[in-house]
Amino acid sequence: MKSIFAVIILIISPISCLMAQQATFLNGQVVDVTSSESLPGANVYWEDEIGTGVVSDLDGFFEIKTGKFPRSLVISFIGFEKSIRVINQKDLEKSQKFFLNPNQMSLEEIIIQERRPDEQVRNLETGKATMPIATIKNIPALFGEVDLFRSLQLLPGVQTAGEGTGGLFVRGGSADQNLVQIDGAPVYNASHFFGFFSVFNPDALEKVDLYKGNMPASFGGRLSSVIDVSLREGNNKQIRGEGGIGTISSRFTMDGPLFSEKSTFALSARRTYADVFLALASDPNIRENRLNFHDLSAKFAFRIGEKDKLTFSTYQGSDFLGLESSFGLGWSNFVNSLKWNRTISKDFYFDLDAYHSIYDYKIEFDDPENGFEWKNKLSETGLKAQWSWLRGENLQTYWGVHSQLYYFAPIALIPAPESNIQQLDTNPKNGILNSVFAGMTYEISPRLSTEAGLRWSIFNQIGNGVDYTYEGGIPGPEIAITDTTRYSTLENIKFYQGLEPRIAFRYLINEQFSIKTAYNRNFQYVQIASNSSAGLPIDRWILAGTYVPPIRSDQISLGLFHNFDDNKWEFSVETYYKDFQNIIDLRNGASVLFTDNVETELLTGRGWAYGAEFLLRKNQGKTTGWLSYTYSRTWREIAGISEGQKYNPRYDRPHDISLVINHEFSSAWSAGLTFVYTSGQAVSFPVGVYQADRQSVPLYSDFRNEDRFPNYHRVDASVTWRNPNKGRKWRGSWNASIYNLYGRKNPFAYSFENIVNNDINYDSETDGPITSVRPGIIMTYLFTFLPSITYNFEF
Amino acid sequence: MRNLRILSVLFLMSACQIEVVLPLVQIEEDIPVIEGIWTDNSILNEVKISLAKNYTDTTGFKAITNAKVSIRQAGSNVVFPFAYNSNSRTYKAVNGNATAKVGETYELVVDWNENSFYAKGLMLEPPILDSLTYQFEEERPFRDEGYYIKAFGRIPFEENNYYRIQIIANDTLKNDPGDYLLFDDTFGFTFFENGLELGYAFEPGDRVRLILYRMTVEPYNYLNQLLGLLFSDGGLFSPPPQNPDTNIQVVKGETEVLGYFLVSPILTEFIEISK
Repeated sequence: MKSIFAVIILIISPISCLMAQQATFLNGQVVDVTSSESLPGANVYWEDEIGTGVVSDLDGFFEIKTGKFPRSLVISFIGFEKSIRVINQKDLEKSQKFFLNPNQMSLEEIIIQERRPDEQVRNLETGKATMPIATIKNIPALFGEVDLFRSLQLLPGVQTAGEGTGGLFVRGGSADQNLVQIDGAPVYNASHFFGFFSVFNPDALEKVDLYKGNMPASFGGRLSSVIDVSLREGNNKQIRGEGGIGTISSRFTMDGPLFSEKSTFALSARRTYADVFLALASDPNIRENRLNFHDLSAKFAFRIGEKDKLTFSTYQGSDFLGLESSFGLGWSNFVNSLKWNRTISKDFYFDLDAYHSIYDYKIEFDDPENGFEWKNKLSETGLKAQWSWLRGENLQTYWGVHSQLYYFAPIALIPAPESNIQQLDTNPKNGILNSVFAGMTYEISPRLSTEAGLRWSIFNQIGNGVDYTYEGGIPGPEIAITDTTRYSTLENIKFYQGLEPRIAFRYLINEQFSIKTAYNRNFQYVQIASNSSAGLPIDRWILAGTYVPPIRSDQISLGLFHNFDDNKWEFSVETYYKDFQNIIDLRNGASVLFTDNVETELLTGRGWAYGAEFLLRKNQGKTTGWLSYTYSRTWREIAGISEGQKYNPRYDRPHDISLVINHEFSSAWSAGLTFVYTSGQAVSFPVGVYQADRQSVPLYSDFRNEDRFPNYHRVDASVTWRNPNKGRKWRGSWNASIYNLYGRKNPFAYSFENIVNNDINYDSETDGPITSVRPGIIMTYLFTFLPSITYNFEF
Repeated sequence: MRNLRILSVLFLMSACQIEVVLPLVQIEEDIPVIEGIWTDNSILNEVKISLAKNYTDTTGFKAITNAKVSIRQAGSNVVFPFAYNSNSRTYKAVNGNATAKVGETYELVVDWNENSFYAKGLMLEPPILDSLTYQFEEERPFRDEGYYIKAFGRIPFEENNYYRIQIIANDTLKNDPGDYLLFDDTFGFTFFENGLELGYAFEPGDRVRLILYRMTVEPYNYLNQLLGLLFSDGGLFSPPPQNPDTNIQVVKGETEVLGYFLVSPILTEFIEISK
């Protein structure tokens, strides 16, 4: 019996071995997609056999027994997104690599928590907002184009001039009172398409800080805000890329190590193809028009030893809008910044920034008789050195100098070869602004902290250049010039200086509640002379000089800040009052494009603004977003305008509500919703009509902007689907968005004109004889129910 | 610039327009509009006075017929009284041959409804308008195919260089906003010496008269600001609308006044496009 049993065993065993030899295995390696590093200890199992599985070894390799095909293999690792991939027979032929992405939710938390959860309560900053790039990318966008400026407009205290435009009007200040800088270098016109899009490709950005209340003393030169944009540095592990193909433009960003782990690069590009669509139009009048913009940026970072870091950032972008190849408008920015950061010791740091920013703009007019090209250019070159010293936990100090050289080129009016127009002669404007600053943050007690600083700005308008002396000493369009003085290079023409104190206090009522107050004074030595409401890219920047004193603002703010539910929610209410001196505006009928005597077109006065900003914000969880309400008023009082009485500029919009919600349904699906409501813009409607020079002319009140557009509101929505993580390097996502979901016809402009034959589009050549003419009001509106779709990718 | 405004709307391809009704403020008082033209051509000399009306008022502009109007030569006793002419609905000089003399300053005085209005203007020396010529041109940018007229002249002045050209084609004054031709010395006057091309494509048989004005800065600014207002689309890229700066003052009374007073030499040339 035993022998029979042994024979059976002997027979079965080989059969068993034979069967065992027929079992197949899948070999693979688990890798972090961001760093290319292997992931030891990752769980690997079949989706239909959760109870069994293997773990990757120290090098990330694993081997798992297979079964029938196709079959879903799951790979998971803490802190990373789970990967599920369908395995087929052919996948056994070679070892597979499985790339895991760091968990999306935790990445967003990391970004927001650059920023501690209780930072809103604890920090000293009032009126500062940090906008995570991931948040910007989740906000439904016009034409599907994610835009930094339009995202900032959703924050309390930040207004827009009108539908679609990207200009920012912060706490009553005009758009030229915002210092927009890329890695420390100013951008003079940060908009494309007349302000419909900003120059910032969101894929190229690291972070954005908006200072609208208390600006640290290290910042200066603008009254209303600092929009401090940092370009993204490359990663030092491997080459990565991301981009998107949208309705209006496409973009691509690539980053990675440069020569070694100690140096990195990041390159970004974006271009619109609206001109492609124009070329496809059947109407030749549209086909011959040109419409394009592009952005290029790069950032290189080098670690030199343990203590030094060098970064070089560059941005170049331009726009061109052309009408039938006969008339065109173009502008471009070219910004370069070089930074040296040195860690002198663990408590002592030194930062040196050098930058150069150029802004060019031009008008082309290709008329056979009177053609010309009008060009203007300005540049700013700067050097900023700052030392920071951390003296224990309670005291941080910094000090430094900042020198800026302004060059405003003479207007170049170049007649076309056959043109009868004479060349125009104007003179350059130059200025040097030197600022010395110092500040500190001091914890007086566990509850009471202060941030104090002082900036001393010293401005010289210098040669070479020309200054005019006017009869009576006050420039005016018909005032005779009694003398013209020429100044050689660096010779002083006009000197201004001003102290700019900054102080803020924070009192912690408890861990969840604080009160903050701040006072700022700022001087601004460059500003725009514009007679349009929203600003045009060809508006002239002017320097402070003999007849144009620097503008000055004083702002005081007071706020309550409260976090609750374990810092998941933030609430704040902040009030402010701001006063402006030496604000300029243009006289009636002013022309600034073709004159060397811009000061003759200017009127000077004062302004003031006040408001209260409420913000409720949720930063954590699957649903995030904020609700903000701002009540604000802005006033100007300038002799020569509105009978010298106070008036509201166009962007005075007392009520402003923004609701932004983003919800992550799953790792694949997310949705965003935005609701905005603002009071109508302050405008002037006619009070009557009269006849002059055989024209029907609208009659306006002598008081400016006493009327209002209807209130503005709209809802935008978007849905994003991300390709499920199959462990492959290429990840794509689709975003579908609708701008103005319920199609409200928000007015962009009203024109008051005669309506012929009850047809607002009456054409005398095609619509027959005139049978009736009556006065009418025509409203222009822009975007109603505008869907768009964008494909985004990364690898 | 007009093209800039066209461009600013052009690229807004999804822009749409509808007619709407807005609650507009009503005019509460009578506001007179005075247009005074005083030249060396008696036919053109007249003062038109009317009232502004509410925007939606579809009745015609009401003429003021009971004002006392006169133009006097400053620094002299020379006064030209005006009387209302119901045919032209304007005030005409009682002396139908009265004209302005170069170098003299003239003052417009209007009394109406216990208000008095005053303006003055200098009669400047006229430039030189030599001739008009025409030739056929093929289609070009901004220009249709047709006969184009060039005006040749010379402007030898260093100051007070403010000009207007009006075109009368086949007895019809071209007076749409796009027909305004105002220029000063910003870009020089070479274009006039080399022949200023009028921007109209004429046809054989057209009869064209050109009128050239030279004025001081005040009426020029008025016309320029008027033109800017007519071209304003009320949008973000237009200046805040304001009434043109009148050169007429209110010397008595509380009312406001609109309009302008223009003193100018007149040069005319005529040409007919041959068939």
